[in-house]
Amino acid sequence: MEEPMPLADSSSMMRVAFVGKGGAGKSTIAGTFARLLARRGQPVLALDSDPMPGMPYALGVAVDDCPIPDDVVVSGGEGEPRWVLRSDLDAAAIVDRYAAEGPDGVRYLQFGNLWGHVVRLQKAQHAWSQVVAELDRDQWHLVGDLPGGTRQAMFGWARYADTVCLVVESTVKSMHTAARLLTLSQAKWGPSSLVLVVNKACDDSDAARICERLELPAAAVVPHDPEAGRGDRRGAAPLDAAPDGALAHAVDALVDRVVSLYSFGEEVAG
Amino acid sequence: MKIAVVGKGGAGKTTTSAVLARSLGRRGARVVALDCDTNPNLGLSLGVGDSETERLLTLRDQVDEGEAEHAPTWDDILDRYGADAPDGVRLSVITRIENPEPG
Amino acid sequence: MNDEATTVVADLEAGIGTLTRLDAAAVDATVVVVEPTLRSIDVARRAIAVADEQRQGRVVVVANKVSDDDDRARIDEAFEDRVLIVVPEDPAIDVADRLGLSPVDHEPQAPAVAALESLVDALGLASV
Repeated sequence: MEEPMPLADSSSMMRVAFVGKGGAGKSTIAGTFARLLARRGQPVLALDSDPMPGMPYALGVAVDDCPIPDDVVVSGGEGEPRWVLRSDLDAAAIVDRYAAEGPDGVRYLQFGNLWGHVVRLQKAQHAWSQVVAELDRDQWHLVGDLPGGTRQAMFGWARYADTVCLVVESTVKSMHTAARLLTLSQAKWGPSSLVLVVNKACDDSDAARICERLELPAAAVVPHDPEAGRGDRRGAAPLDAAPDGALAHAVDALVDRVVSLYSFGEEVAG
Repeated sequence: MKIAVVGKGGAGKTTTSAVLARSLGRRGARVVALDCDTNPNLGLSLGVGDSETERLLTLRDQVDEGEAEHAPTWDDILDRYGADAPDGVRLSVITRIENPEPG
Repeated sequence: MNDEATTVVADLEAGIGTLTRLDAAAVDATVVVVEPTLRSIDVARRAIAVADEQRQGRVVVVANKVSDDDDRARIDEAFEDRVLIVVPEDPAIDVADRLGLSPVDHEPQAPAVAALESLVDALGLASV
């Protein structure tokens, strides 16, 4: 088993995507990760491509329904995508106008949600992918939350990422999904940028079982945190419900681990 | 009778589907359990085991990748992309439920 | 699928994407599974709205992992006008998931299994 190595081209900011089975805790960890990174004085843009967004809860953003409106795109011309951003808008302007402001200075951009009809969702998807493609690499660290499962994860939605965090809990189903995501993602991401995060660990054997099955070392083991769990039930972000809890500490260690993959790591290390 | 089971990932959708299918089967109904998830693991909750669930998943991938033909009829789908679960439940993994071929 | 003698239980993809794409009146009943977290309740409410609008049969709400009075209150408030099955938080389900077993085989008498089995009656299928 190979330890993650620093990325070759890692001078610009981090682009991290969280994937895994639904319910494994992607949004929870991604949202917490974004805030803890922002607390280190870093500019963080949280990107939510889940049509059932869970990140607002995990971040503690007051508004949970804030999709990019569909009138930001117009029909594309010959040789262009079906929908393209309006000429008076660019990625920076979209973030400026539509990304919600969250705690610790995190900005939160939601691509669309399931209320939309298929056409509207398509518009939002086109807008979202253009925004992500055009964003200035030196302006924001991107922390992305993908929908659960394997459908969206590897069909272009995680293309922006240079680090993929695979979130796994200790159930056979979660490991199944993770094994699949791992196979799919190895085509694009080398072992150095695939980061395994064990979530809801009850004891050491949980992490050991997952690592053995996936043949990957765990970059972070996030213990089961009852206080954060109770917060989740009433809609409170883990960092607000249990600011000094086991989950917060483990995710902070994950931030350390991920920044260490980048050449600017030392400046951001906690 | 057709029953759709929906919910957020991790809420217990698959467990619910499996217990429902098994209790219906135990009461003597002819039950087909359809796994419509892109990452099928209903087999685990139905009790067909890890390796059989894995086998169905590989089959489904082959259909998705065009290496295997789509089964032409409903019965073929059950036959080719299915497995027998306890209590007489027949499990089948399908890519799309939107336009299933009538048998 | 048109075989009346067969009962089809379709475990749809997580979320409500597939539900929104189904033809109107494609199924006879929709089971909406929810956890007592605000975010899961939000998704469930949206799913119910789609199921009602598209006439996807009788809607039954299954509230899973209900562990205390607060959970129960949150669920009751959100789904008071619905057919509701409350499933208690049950370590037997977690253990079955960890082992990759069916809860029906792992611990058939578990409270959560018994509660889920009552879904057959709630769907009006007791006589099948």
